[in-house]
Amino acid sequence: MNRTPLAWKNLTYDKWRLFVAGCGIAFAVVLMFQQRGFQHALFDSTVEIVRELDCDLVLLRPNRFALSVETRFDRHLLDVAASHEGVAAARPLYIESLAARLRRDQQRAQPIRVLGFHLGDPIFLDRDGDLAPQLAALTAPATALMDRLSRAEYGFDFSSSAQWPQTGELNGRQLAVEGTFRSGRDFAHNGNLLMSAENFATYFRHRGPDPLGQVDLGLVKVAAGHSHEQLRERLQASFGAEVDVLTRQALIEREMAMWDRNTPIGVIFTVGTLMGFVVGVIICYQVLATSITDHLSEFATLKAMGYDNPYFVRLTILQSVYLALLGFGPGLVLSWGLFQFNASYTALPMILTVGRIAFVLVATLAMCILSGLLALRKLFSADPASLF
Amino acid sequence: MSTESPHESLDALLATWPTADTVLSIDVQQVNHHYGSGEMRKQVLFDNHLQVRAGEIVIMTGPSGSGKTTLLTLMGTLRSVQEGSLKVLGTELFGLGTAATTELRKRIGFIFQAHNLFESLTAFQNVGMATELLGIPTSEAKPQIEQTLHRLGLGQRLHYRPKALSGGQKQRVAVARGIIHRPGLILADEPTAALDAESGREVVTIFQELARQHQCTIVIVTHDNRILDVADRIVSMVDGRIVSNVLVKRNQLLSQFLVQIELFRVLSTSALTKVADKFDLQSFPAGSEIIRQGDVGDLFYVIGSGQVAIEMDGQQVNRLGPGAFFGEVALIRDQPRNATVRAVEDARCFVLHKADFQTILQQSTSFEEELRKAIFSRQ
Repeated sequence: MNRTPLAWKNLTYDKWRLFVAGCGIAFAVVLMFQQRGFQHALFDSTVEIVRELDCDLVLLRPNRFALSVETRFDRHLLDVAASHEGVAAARPLYIESLAARLRRDQQRAQPIRVLGFHLGDPIFLDRDGDLAPQLAALTAPATALMDRLSRAEYGFDFSSSAQWPQTGELNGRQLAVEGTFRSGRDFAHNGNLLMSAENFATYFRHRGPDPLGQVDLGLVKVAAGHSHEQLRERLQASFGAEVDVLTRQALIEREMAMWDRNTPIGVIFTVGTLMGFVVGVIICYQVLATSITDHLSEFATLKAMGYDNPYFVRLTILQSVYLALLGFGPGLVLSWGLFQFNASYTALPMILTVGRIAFVLVATLAMCILSGLLALRKLFSADPASLF
Repeated sequence: MSTESPHESLDALLATWPTADTVLSIDVQQVNHHYGSGEMRKQVLFDNHLQVRAGEIVIMTGPSGSGKTTLLTLMGTLRSVQEGSLKVLGTELFGLGTAATTELRKRIGFIFQAHNLFESLTAFQNVGMATELLGIPTSEAKPQIEQTLHRLGLGQRLHYRPKALSGGQKQRVAVARGIIHRPGLILADEPTAALDAESGREVVTIFQELARQHQCTIVIVTHDNRILDVADRIVSMVDGRIVSNVLVKRNQLLSQFLVQIELFRVLSTSALTKVADKFDLQSFPAGSEIIRQGDVGDLFYVIGSGQVAIEMDGQQVNRLGPGAFFGEVALIRDQPRNATVRAVEDARCFVLHKADFQTILQQSTSFEEELRKAIFSRQ
């Protein structure tokens, strides 16, 4: 039979109150999205470089517990890896950040991360299609591409009208920046340069007689038809303690977990998210409790008629869910807009994934239902004997 | 004199008396009630007794604070019975569990002084809250709700929200909500206070229909004198006690019956009503002895229906029919019965106890004279 939708009717009867309530919930939703968004962005930024690599497994020194820790392994191990069945290719990536200083004009020299690779190795996914047309320019000596999300303090002009090349000094030697690519900054790095392995070797001679003999990351492509995990296990077994072999995803997770563990970022933003949650609970409770107290004698009448407590629990939870959804919709739209703005303003990767949206949705529902249950006490106190 | 024929009014009169299969809707026994606890504990009901038959309309009156509302909330299961026994619709309320209470409430209709309608629901939906609870299918409930609202003059306002209704209209929606599910018991607090004379009359007419056609018992707390005439019983409370409990409808009919008898015609109307209240009804199957010669007499009889034979020493000396009375001699002279009275056919007699009978004699000399005249004429 058709039930009278009392929860919906009571909630929507006073349009102005509903609007204010919706805004309140949406505010809490935006707050939670922002906090979570920044938290994820900060963690995401640390692995942005890995996400751009076109590889299945990554080889690195066991004591390289974070990507920014510069410990390396012998290049010949890559040849060993390549000889394993199922390995389509094993390619090196060279990284320098502690010893790299970039300056332009009269600016102060600033640390920057430099990535070196063999131009013939397709180790980048190059999703934007930026790299391919510019690879030819990198064959010349003393050339590089610069991450256009690098900090403005370097003094380079990344605007669309910028003229290339722009010149600067890397470790005291002339460098021609031939164009840009897109990566991103993180805690440890304010910008990125990308250059050929040959040029990399000339700038970082301190790496030894053969500057390219030591590899930072080994990037393994697995041949079609082979299990990534099985191959990883085989490689790991053959290398033992010399090299860690991780899947690309495992490396991403390990890196994010490391930052989460070793920085207060997780705590800071969790507290922020909680604040949003609490604000939401308070707003939602106010709305639901007012809705109940305004109709206390009506509810008492329902009790006298024989409506039982489970009915009132259902009624209130239903109202909470409606309220949560009414606030979540606009909150999500608003958050999406703010994410776009934040991403362009801070150069942080503000990413809305289904999982992250689901997290906030669940938090919003929990927030409203919790306040609903708190407000229920008022409803239970409605005494039909007081009506006569 | 009534415009009804004596026969009709007699039937109505006899119908007001309980019979062996009479169902009690409300049975209040020795109910006490207290508010507060510890030193603040204050007794508000004192040893209340009240029995109400199914289909009776009871009006409760009394000054505010007299406990009538408390008694009403106890009957409605809205408060727990603390002391004594209170049965409603066959269920003992003392110590009744939550689930059973909820179930019982579904069989009771409540009409409160305030309408207590949801502003967000239309008149139709507000009434529908009552039918939904009982799981009445929409197809069945819809015409019922529409008809009831129509009946209450709200046919044009089925889908109006309370905001668009006048005070009286809102109250009528609340009445519809209280009666729509055909409850066995309706508890109403000033249901007509907010209504004009015409709507008020319509509401009590519906109450009467429910009482007559569906044996619905109705208890109304009211100060509205306009509706006192619908009461079968008027209960007055003062300071937590039931000070009077009068079957007004029955007494009125009985007075109408008695006043046709010459003996009672000498009594003033108020005296007659008081007398009527004292009468009981007794039934005698054909052939049974009503009184026996030589027994101690303690009852005075007025024949309501049937024929009786007076026998002295085994000889039938007279036959009496409806409206005749007997048994008075033994009461006046404090003697044993001087004759046997036997029911010739199934007979029903209104009986008065000796003490009540003598009270009338003391209070009305004309009654005594009339009685002596009657006795004399018989000899």
